[in-house]
Amino acid sequence: MLFDLLEMLRCGGTHTLKDMARQLDVSELLVQSMIDELVRLGYLKLTAQACAGSCEGCPVAGCCAVGSEGRLWTLTEVGRRALQTQES
Amino acid sequence: MTEQHRDSIRVALAGQPNVGKSTVFNLLTGLSQHVGNWPGKTVEQKAGTCEFDSLTFDVVDLPGTYSLSANSPEELIAREYIIREKPDVVVAIVNAATLERSLYLVAELLALGVPLVIGLNMIDVAEQQGLTIETHVLEAALGVPVVPMVATKGLGLRELLARVQDIACDGAEYQPNEPDIRADHKQVLQLIENLIGSYVPEEYPATWVALKILEGDEQITRLMRPRLPEGTWKEVADIIGQHEDACVAVASGRYSWIARMVRAAVVRPKIGPITLTDRLDRWATHPLWGLVILVAILAVTFALTYALGSPLQELLDRHIVGGLASLATSILGSAPAWLLSLVVDGAIHGVGTVLTFFPILLIFFAVLGILEDVGYMARAAYVMDRFMHLMGLHGKSFLPLFLGFGCNVPAVMGSRVVESPRARLLTILVAPLVPCTARMAVIAFLAPVFFRTPTLISWGLLTLNLSVLVLAGLLLNRVILRGERVAFIMELPLYHLPNWHTIAIGIWQRLMSFVEKAGTIILGVSLVIWGLSQFPGGTLETSWMASLGRRLQPIGSLMGLDWRMMVALLSSFIAKENAVATLGVLFGQTESEASIAVALRAAVTPSAALAFLVMQMLFIPCVATVSAIKQETASWRWPAFAVLFLLVVSLVGGLATYRLAALFGLG
Repeated sequence: MLFDLLEMLRCGGTHTLKDMARQLDVSELLVQSMIDELVRLGYLKLTAQACAGSCEGCPVAGCCAVGSEGRLWTLTEVGRRALQTQES
Repeated sequence: MTEQHRDSIRVALAGQPNVGKSTVFNLLTGLSQHVGNWPGKTVEQKAGTCEFDSLTFDVVDLPGTYSLSANSPEELIAREYIIREKPDVVVAIVNAATLERSLYLVAELLALGVPLVIGLNMIDVAEQQGLTIETHVLEAALGVPVVPMVATKGLGLRELLARVQDIACDGAEYQPNEPDIRADHKQVLQLIENLIGSYVPEEYPATWVALKILEGDEQITRLMRPRLPEGTWKEVADIIGQHEDACVAVASGRYSWIARMVRAAVVRPKIGPITLTDRLDRWATHPLWGLVILVAILAVTFALTYALGSPLQELLDRHIVGGLASLATSILGSAPAWLLSLVVDGAIHGVGTVLTFFPILLIFFAVLGILEDVGYMARAAYVMDRFMHLMGLHGKSFLPLFLGFGCNVPAVMGSRVVESPRARLLTILVAPLVPCTARMAVIAFLAPVFFRTPTLISWGLLTLNLSVLVLAGLLLNRVILRGERVAFIMELPLYHLPNWHTIAIGIWQRLMSFVEKAGTIILGVSLVIWGLSQFPGGTLETSWMASLGRRLQPIGSLMGLDWRMMVALLSSFIAKENAVATLGVLFGQTESEASIAVALRAAVTPSAALAFLVMQMLFIPCVATVSAIKQETASWRWPAFAVLFLLVVSLVGGLATYRLAALFGLG
């Protein structure tokens, strides 16, 4: 199940939690749990986490166009290697 | 079936945080509970007793944990207790509303092989959320007793105790349905179990130990290592080494199991959009309609800007700028001519003109702020990324690029989130092509001067910029990146009503930073430009500015632009808004009372104006952006490349526009 999730990231692009939940035929909560697990195991990591909700302290807040609350995750080096291993 | 006569039953209470475990414990043990510490630890231990059906239940409250790994003292305490003390029954409290999370601990508990009873708590919360849990189905699927409960109302406790008694005393039919490890790792698990089986301490279940070793569990590995002969340990280590992703396989098995349980036993209200957010997102994140909506929102933003902003701007221009100019003239009437000129032509016309941007910026920032606060920006970013994906540009780069809509400097700095150095470089080089608010403000100022349909023009210019950005990105991608692919998972937050307070603060902050910029850089540049346009001769025609401009005249004339427009374009290198400030200084120095707009219209044809606007949009980045590029790439090579690249792009764009416009009879 976890590898199915990672597999969806193989071709790149951006996926929403909802898309992934629909494709895996599970609830969004389960996708969220799996993402947290993959982060814990070091296969995924949060990226623009620093941006989420910390506009007050940001020096460029005055001219930033994005202050979105949504979190963003991406594959780590470990995660990428794991996908490659799956390929072979 | 063995029937045992017992006086007491030892029960361990397990569960994740926030499932109501404490409530259950307190209800069961009441005043009998005593608090201490787990032996040798600083973690609190609670234990107590409960009387039911002439039996005593000795209840120990295990620390609340999400799982049973070796990563925290609480988890170690919980699993050590179960393994060593071997309670008669473990009661696992789960939250019916978040079964997907709660069941993870159950999966771990089942692997330990201890008799389990599930307390399915917070049924009321689940119902509120529209979830129905079919308890009997869950029980059949799990193979373990499941007792529905609402601990806060004291419901289900008696049944819980009854089921615990059944399991402990009657040895009731108990066939738990354990999670399996992922198929491709089953053999590996068996191998390890065969290797270590005879060396596992008595109280530990061998399969569980093998599983933990495969997972890379530190405590178990440390436990087993000295007990294994060197050769065996080496074999085990080899197997682990060959299967780096074993921990994922183990966890994966648990999640597949959880998915099966949830699918079987949880009934959701409806398939498809159930919340307003879902309904809106069907359109907002649609591959086609999402883009259409985004484009429409941008169009509306521009339309609003011109409907409200331009008239206000004109008013400000006439009354504030004009008024200040007259005021200054009357106050400084007796002062030397150059001082008067400095103040009026330099400062007031230069900075003043830029300050008339206020209404336009106010509207931009207001719309941007509302869209952000409502939660739409995340959808816009998602749509843009998918669109870029279709064009062959994708990945992490879109986020910093999106920042560029406010200002290119954070877009360049924001490229730090891109790991791969090549992708980061590509992002940085392409960032100046994202139209920033300063550039949009220049368009907002100039478009209505020359065109009857400024909304269409602005919108067209924006589209042009984004197209050039995509093309440049494709080109550079081919050259620099060779098509590297990066993937994202994105969370779309719920839509919610705008918080006007937050939005107002945001707008205020952005306006103030604009005013600060105007008061310092733009004022400075305006005065410099003024100076360059006065000296050495005292008139515009004989100034340094003019001679510089005349040198650029040949290029400008290809597009119908006179030297003043070229100088304005150059000055946008300092800050994009300066284009307007410079035009204000250079065109405001006419003898007549005519405003700058009239003077501009007299000097520039519409097609030349269009060429100017295109050049303005694609021109070299402002000095702040260039220094950001230098900082982020740690060399002068890339900022130089960026400047050269964009110089060429903007010249080509300007020329092409002029020719095409003339072709279409723009005049």
